[in-house]
Amino acid sequence: MDEKKALTDGELIELSKKDPEMFGLLMERYQGPLFHYIRRITQLPADDVQDLLQEVFIKIYQKLNEYDVALKFSSWAYRIAHNHVVDYFRKVSARQQTNALEDYEWEKIIQAGIQIEKDIMNKDCVAKVKACIQELPINYREVLILRFVEEKDYEEIMDILRKPKGSVATLIARGKEMLAKKMKDKNINCF
Amino acid sequence: MKNLIQDTLGQIKKEHIAPEPRWKFLVRKFGAWAVLGVILLLGAAAIAIIYYLISQLDWEVPSFMHQSTFVYGLSVFPYIWVVLIGLVIVAAFFGVRKTETGYRYNSVRIATVAIGVVVVAGIALAASNFGGKMNNALVDEFPAYGHMVTTKQSQWSQPQNGLLSGTIEKVQGNSISLQDFQGKKWEVQIDSKTFIAPVVSIQPGEVIKLVGTDMGKSIFQVQEIRPWGGMGMGNGGGGNGGTMMNGDSSTVNGNRNNPADSTINSSPMRGSGGGMMGR
Repeated sequence: MDEKKALTDGELIELSKKDPEMFGLLMERYQGPLFHYIRRITQLPADDVQDLLQEVFIKIYQKLNEYDVALKFSSWAYRIAHNHVVDYFRKVSARQQTNALEDYEWEKIIQAGIQIEKDIMNKDCVAKVKACIQELPINYREVLILRFVEEKDYEEIMDILRKPKGSVATLIARGKEMLAKKMKDKNINCF
Repeated sequence: MKNLIQDTLGQIKKEHIAPEPRWKFLVRKFGAWAVLGVILLLGAAAIAIIYYLISQLDWEVPSFMHQSTFVYGLSVFPYIWVVLIGLVIVAAFFGVRKTETGYRYNSVRIATVAIGVVVVAGIALAASNFGGKMNNALVDEFPAYGHMVTTKQSQWSQPQNGLLSGTIEKVQGNSISLQDFQGKKWEVQIDSKTFIAPVVSIQPGEVIKLVGTDMGKSIFQVQEIRPWGGMGMGNGGGGNGGTMMNGDSSTVNGNRNNPADSTINSSPMRGSGGGMMGR
C-alpha cells in the first residue's frame, strides 16, 4: 500500500481508470484540501460540504480521461470543485450560511485586504471585518480565499478559474478595494 | 462525519459509474477549434471580398463626378464587410478563450494572431479570386446585398450624375441605341465634340461607358465614349489619341489606322477580378 501511496497523481489517474479502488487513494490525497476549499467558498455546514465534495469526486472520476497532464492535478480538481459550486449556487438560491472560516483564515484575508501587520490586529476587529468579507460577491470572495487562504499562486488560480492572469489580478485588486470600501462605509477603523 | 471515500467508491460501483471515453472530450476539444477555424475563414473571405470590391471599381469615376478620390473612396468603401471582420475578430477572441487552454493566452496576443490569420488567409483567398466568385454569388443569390455594395456597374449606372454604360444595340447616324445593365433603352446622342477613346469600336454588341448629360426621356447627350475596360487610350496610355465624332458612319472605330484597337478587352459582365458582376 505504501508503494501505491508513493505513486504520482498522474500514475494514480491512469490506474484509477482501470480500478476504481485506486481512485480512493487520489480522494485520500485531496479530500482535505478540497473539503476546506468548498467550505470556505460556500460557507455551508460540514455535512452539506461533504455531500458537495462527494459529487465533485464523482465528477472528477467521470472526467479522468479529460485530465491534461500539462496542468497540476490539484488545479484541475479545484477547477471541477469551483464549477460544481457555481452550478450548485445557480440551482439553490436560498442557502444556509455559517461562519465557515476560522479566525486565522479571516485574518489572512483581512491582512491582504487592508495591508496591515498581523500583530496589530485584534479579535474584535476581525469579527467586524468578517461581516464585510461575507458580503463580497462570491467571485471576489473566492479569489481572495484562493490567494490568501489557500495560498495559491497566480498560475494555479488561472487554471482553477480558467481566467487570464490579468483577470485574476483584477479580481484580487477589486476584491481588496471592495473590502476596504465596505470597511470605510461601516466606519470600521479599529487598527 | 460519513466516510467520504468509501461512500464515493460505493456509489461508483453501485451505479456502475465509469470515466467517460476520451473520444468524447477530443470531439468537444477539436470541435471548438474547428468552429474557430470556420470563424477565421469567414473573416478571410471578407478580406478577399473587400479586396475584390475595391480593385474592381473604376477609380477614374471621382474625377468625372468632380469629387476627390479620398471622399469618393469613403462613400464606396464596403463597410458591411469591415463590420463583419470586426465581429469575426471578437468571435475568434472569445472562441480562443473558450478552448481548453485559451485562458492562458494574453489578450493582445490572441487578437494579433486572429487578425494575422484573417489577413494572411484573406490575401491567399484574394489571390485565388475567391473574393470575386463569392461576391458575385452573393449578388446573384441575394439582390439586396447587391444594393449594399458599390460595383463598377453601379458606378457607371448613374445617368443623373452623367455616367452611363451598357451594350450598343444599334448605330444610326449620330445616335446610338444603348441598353443599360438594368435593361433600360437609351438614345445616346453624339455630336462633333464627343470624344471617342482610341480603342472603342462603336458597333452593335459592344459594351461602352459614357460620360455626358441625361437629357430626360431616355436621351443621353454624350461627351466621352470609352470602352468598358479601362480608359481606352490604347498603348499610349493617356494621350489625346481619341477621335471626335464627325460623320454618319454606322461603325466608328476609335483609331481607324489600327484595326486591333477596335477590340474591347473586357466583358461588361466581368470585373477586373474576372467574376460575374451585378448590382
